Amino acid sequence: MEASTGVYCAGVDIGAVGAKAVIMSGGKIVGSAVVPTAVNAEKSGLSALEVALKMAGIMRSDLKQVVATGYGRRTIAFADKTITEIGCHARGAYSLNPKVRTIIDMGGQDCKAIRIDEEGRVTEFIMNDKCASGTGRFLEVMSRVFEIPVSEMGPLALQAEKMVPMSSTCTVFAESEVISLMARGEKPEDIINGVHHAIAQRVAGLLTRVGLEDDVFFSGGVAKNVGMIKALEEIIEKKVVTSSENPQLMGALGAALFAAGRIAL
Amino acid sequence: MKATTLDRIAKAVQERPEQLMKAREKGAKVVGYFCSYMPEEIVHALGLIPVRLGRGGSDDLVELGGRYIGKGTCVFLRESVGLFAEGKEPFSKACDLVAVATSCVQMFRLAEVVKHFFNIPTLVLGVPRNFYLPEGRAFFQKEVENFAAQLEEFAGNKLDAAALAESVELYRNIRRTLQQIYDFQAADPAPISWREVFDVIHAGFYLDRAEYYRLLQDLLSELGTMSEALGTTDERPRILLSGTNIPPGDTKLINLIEEAGGRIVGDDLCSGLRFISGIDAKAATLAGLADAYIDKIPCATLPYLPSLDSDRRLENLAMIIDRYKPEGMIYHTLRFCDAFTFKAAETKRIMNNKISFMEIHTEYADSDIEAIRTRIDAFIEVLEGRRRAKISKAAVVG
Repeated sequence: MEASTGVYCAGVDIGAVGAKAVIMSGGKIVGSAVVPTAVNAEKSGLSALEVALKMAGIMRSDLKQVVATGYGRRTIAFADKTITEIGCHARGAYSLNPKVRTIIDMGGQDCKAIRIDEEGRVTEFIMNDKCASGTGRFLEVMSRVFEIPVSEMGPLALQAEKMVPMSSTCTVFAESEVISLMARGEKPEDIINGVHHAIAQRVAGLLTRVGLEDDVFFSGGVAKNVGMIKALEEIIEKKVVTSSENPQLMGALGAALFAAGRIAL
Repeated sequence: MKATTLDRIAKAVQERPEQLMKAREKGAKVVGYFCSYMPEEIVHALGLIPVRLGRGGSDDLVELGGRYIGKGTCVFLRESVGLFAEGKEPFSKACDLVAVATSCVQMFRLAEVVKHFFNIPTLVLGVPRNFYLPEGRAFFQKEVENFAAQLEEFAGNKLDAAALAESVELYRNIRRTLQQIYDFQAADPAPISWREVFDVIHAGFYLDRAEYYRLLQDLLSELGTMSEALGTTDERPRILLSGTNIPPGDTKLINLIEEAGGRIVGDDLCSGLRFISGIDAKAATLAGLADAYIDKIPCATLPYLPSLDSDRRLENLAMIIDRYKPEGMIYHTLRFCDAFTFKAAETKRIMNNKISFMEIHTEYADSDIEAIRTRIDAFIEVLEGRRRAKISKAAVVG
C-alpha cells in the first residue's frame, strides 16, 4: 500500500480551531505541523503545509498526492481529493492501533463517535449537534472564566478533591453556572473536574448511540487533555488510548495515508 | 437527456396561478389543503379546485410565520403560516377555503392560526389516533361525512355519486401512472431522476387534475421511448430518503446528497411516494374513501398500537428497500417534528439489518449546512467503502 521512500504525499486537515498537515514518505511521517485556523481556511491549510514541508526539507512540487479533510476541505484548491474527517480520523487511529474499534474525536467545534470494523472501515458514526457544547471550544470558554490557559485545565482537574456536578454543557449557560458555583465558594479545580465530567457524559451518550467496543481511541485536540481522558475512562468504564505523539494530527495523518494509498493504486 | 414533457409540466405549473385567478373571477372556488390525509377526491367531485399547500426552505418565512404560530412548531408549518402572513405565494393567496387534516396537533394549530389571524374560512378533518379499533374507523367515516357536508355547503351544491365515482377513478389513474413513472427513476440507467419525479408529484398539488393526468400519460410514454436508448450505468451510491415531509421549496438535503455524489432512488415522504401510493378506494363513496385513507401507509404521527411488527410505515420501508435497492437510508427529521424524531431510533434499529442508516436533524436555516455536508459526505464514503468490501470479498470467493 505504502509508497516507497522518496515519494512524498500529504494530508491537510483544516479544522475549526487548528489547521494540521502531515507529510509522509515510505510509510513514515517526515513532516507535520499544527497552526491556528485563520479567517481564510485555504491560507491556513497552506501555512500548515508550508511548515510541514520545511520540516521534511522538500518543496510543494515534490508532493505526489494531497488529500484534504476537515471543515475547510472543500476550500483547498491544491488537493487531489477530499475525504471527510470522519474517514480520516478512523484511518489515522487504525494505522496506529489496528485493534481500535471505536474512536472519539473531540475537536474545536464538534465531537464525533466513529465505529470501525476489523479492516478499519467506518461502519457508523455520530456527530454532536450544531453547537459548541462538549467540544474544545467549550473548554476554551471555561478556561477564560477561570483565567488559566486551556492546556492547564486537564492537569487542574486531576488535582480536584471532589467533583462539583455541572447541569449544563451549553457553552452559554455553563459560563453563568460556573460563575454562580464560584460565588458559592466551590474550588476552581473541583468545578473544572465537574466541567470535564459534564463533557465526558455527553460524549458517552454519543458512544452509546454508535455502540461502544474495545479498543477506544481518543483523537483530536482535546485528547491532549489528561483530565478529559480520565473523566472519559471513569464514565465509560473502559481504557481510553490516544496517540503518544499528537492526537491533534490524526485527521491529517489519515488524509496522508489515503494520499499514499492513491499513489499505490 | 431530459424528458421534454417535464418542461411542459413545469410551464403548466408556472401558468397555473393565472389560471386559478381567472377561474375564480368566473366563480370557481379554490380549496387549499394541508396533509396527505385529505381525501382530495371529495373536493374535486364538488367542482371545487383542490390545491395542496405548504412550502419549505425559506428561513425568512419561518421567522415571519413563527410570529403567529409560535417558535415551538416545525419549520414546515411555520413557513406555511408565513406564506399567509406575507401574502405573496400565489397558491395560498388564491384560497377561498383552507382545509386541514389533523394528522398531528401542529396541523390542528395551523388551522386555528390561519382562521384567527388571516380570516380565511377553514375546515378541519379529524384523523383518529387509533385506527386499529372499529371505533377509530367509524370516527373517521363520520369525520369525512361531516367534512363533506360542510364542503357541500361551501360549494353550494350537493355531492353527486357519479361525479364522485369519476373523481375517484381519475385520482386512481393519476396515482397509478405516477407509480409507473416513479419506477423509471430507480432503473439503471434511468431516463428520469428521482428529483424530477419528485417535482412531477408536486406539480400534481397545483395543476388541473384532468390536465395533469394527460401530462403524466405523455411523460410515461416518453420515458418508455427514452429507455430504449440509454447510455452507461449509474455508479452513484443509491440513497433512500425517509422521515419528515420535504415540501416544494426545501432543497437543502436533496442538494447536499447530490453534491456528495449520492443518488436518491426512493423515498417514503408524504410529499413523495407516500402521497401517491397505498390509497385504494374499494367503493366510490364517502365511507369507501374514509377507509382508503385510513388504510394508507401511515404518517409517523399515528401510533402502531398492536405491535411494532404490524407498523405499516416500517413494512412499507422494507418493501421500498426491496423494490428500489437503495444502499443507504437518510432519515430526515425537522426540529419539533416530534413524530418522526421520536421514531428515528427504532426505525434505525429495524432498518439497519437491511441498509446503512443515518438521521439528519435540521431546519431550513443554512447555519448547519457544512456540518450536515460533512455527515452526508461521510455517509457516502461509508457506502462506497461497503461496496469495495463487497467487491473484494467477492474476489476472494471467486
